[in-house]
Amino acid sequence: MFMNSNLFEPGKSKPERNFVQLAVKQNQRFDGRRSNECRDVELAFGEDWGTVAVSLGDTKVLTHVSCDLGAPTTSRPNEGKLQLNVNLGGVAFLDEVQTTHEQRSLTLNSLLERTFRSSRCVDLESLCVAAEQHVWCIRVDINVLNHDGNLYDASTIATLAALMHFRRPDVTFADDELRIYTEKEREFIPLLFLHYPVSVTYCIYKSSNQPIVDPTLLEENAADSVIVLSFNSYQELCTLNAGGTAPTNVRTIMQCARNAANRAKALVDFIRKALSLDEERRLQGSRLIQGLAALIGETPYKLSFSKLMGQQKLELQASLNDKIEVDNKSISKPEVEEIQAMVEPSKPETDTAMDTSSWLPPDEDSQELPMPAEASTSKAGKGKPNHSKSKANKKKLAKRQNHSDSEEEAKQVI
Amino acid sequence: MTSTSTIVMPGDRIAAIEELAKSKRVILGPGLRRQDETVVASKAGPLRHKEPSTFWVDNYQRRYIPARGDLVLGIVRSKAGDLYRVDIGAADTASISYLAFESATKKNRPDLNPGDLIYARVLNASADIEPELVCVNSVGKRGKLGLLAEGFFFKCSLNLGRMLLRENCPVLAALTRELPYEIAIGVNGRIWLKAHSLRETIALANAIVALEQAGYTEIDKICDNLGDFLQA
Repeated sequence: MFMNSNLFEPGKSKPERNFVQLAVKQNQRFDGRRSNECRDVELAFGEDWGTVAVSLGDTKVLTHVSCDLGAPTTSRPNEGKLQLNVNLGGVAFLDEVQTTHEQRSLTLNSLLERTFRSSRCVDLESLCVAAEQHVWCIRVDINVLNHDGNLYDASTIATLAALMHFRRPDVTFADDELRIYTEKEREFIPLLFLHYPVSVTYCIYKSSNQPIVDPTLLEENAADSVIVLSFNSYQELCTLNAGGTAPTNVRTIMQCARNAANRAKALVDFIRKALSLDEERRLQGSRLIQGLAALIGETPYKLSFSKLMGQQKLELQASLNDKIEVDNKSISKPEVEEIQAMVEPSKPETDTAMDTSSWLPPDEDSQELPMPAEASTSKAGKGKPNHSKSKANKKKLAKRQNHSDSEEEAKQVI
Repeated sequence: MTSTSTIVMPGDRIAAIEELAKSKRVILGPGLRRQDETVVASKAGPLRHKEPSTFWVDNYQRRYIPARGDLVLGIVRSKAGDLYRVDIGAADTASISYLAFESATKKNRPDLNPGDLIYARVLNASADIEPELVCVNSVGKRGKLGLLAEGFFFKCSLNLGRMLLRENCPVLAALTRELPYEIAIGVNGRIWLKAHSLRETIALANAIVALEQAGYTEIDKICDNLGDFLQA
């Protein structure tokens, strides 16, 4: 095991591993975060459409979206193409051992493929210009600039933000002639989305049953297993990537899923807000656009999650409340029942239609890992109607698991 | 040691040293190179001077270049015959013999496994052969060298390691005023730490990492309020 691992990375030596295990057991993290606390997410938009840099602490990812016209595949003649390319070459200290390097970039690529392609988040049919002849091919280049853990989240956030930021030129097809309009002739068109997926990563250790969110490289390398969950803004599961050697029970995964769903929703809202701010800036005039110069230094043009969402601590529950206030939605309380009601109408819009709040356990408290017995008593305490509902929940839960085994989001051993 | 910081770039001719070399012997440290009668910098960074006549360039670097006599922290990578392969952060792995430990014999071998952390001295280092380490001094005693079992270990720049190791460095003294701890610093930019509790160890590690970007002059100021880092 140590023969194949790169010892120049943190978290690969025995003292580091043992210490991290011990620290997790005592609920301590090196940067003073709590186990359910994420690092601040910062977005910087480039001058071009579809260029986004994301930083998650010291993890930095630069994503660029480009498009050109091409021929569609014969199996899907009326759909555009979405291509994702991961490039880990920017991180010098990772490439000592070829196998781990390739494995890392393959894992990341497959996660992105499943999150964005298999879940069909971009409406590819809208990218068709002329069936069987011309479609738009969207290419996303994900460049990892620095790796300090949790590349998965950084890349999914960067990819989603870049795709949402991207605009393609308008095109007409008449008399067997393609005409591409410049930005001056016709305004560029943003991509159409069916849903907005974002991933959240958890690390699980043998020494503790409390998973930690948003690991640093040290924590990630020392972890026994890493779980990556992709949720969209409707809190539907898009990808589940669980691997490693730590014994994980359903409870833990469900707890992760519940928190991840909220976190994903907050993140998508954050990206939307950042995009609208960027658009305002662009309308005001191009000299205000700093481009990627914002990456260097503490310029106010860097859009940070904690600032934009109006909070210092990235507590999930707090972010949920906050977001509701800002969005002026009719929800006044962060009750699950209410959210469920909100989610229900959106159900017909999406083809997958998985209502997470029905299969996610309803207890909001994420600090403790409740034992099954405790959870059932707390549910029972709520009264009869809830009790019957919790049964239904469990049924759905079981059903959901069968579903996940058979579907595309099969578990993958990292 | 002077705190004047002349920044030199690779290729710069340093006339001051040449002048001094006419009257007495001058020792050129890392980053400086003699070309016939001229002294030329080969690395970028502030030029340092230690009385009476030692000069070197204190450039920012994370890759270690082994040098004889250096104290380094290494991670055991594998066993190979009667050698251990040890990663010391250099371009090549170093080797250490089974017999280079205190009271080790052919029968009584040290119990080291891949992933273990050892504190060792570089016995010989040359550009063309792999560096060799020892865990004993010249009289066969281990001293402070050998396996570091518990505690936390992290990597930093070579500068930080060097700075902490320099004579009467204020950082360690300032930390000692706050809490008791054990520390092993390798010039290869690796630091091992152990305090009474896990919390204290984390705080110490963060306090030391916070010094990463500080220069020699800032260090003295920062040390006055190192206690603040420990609180965080």
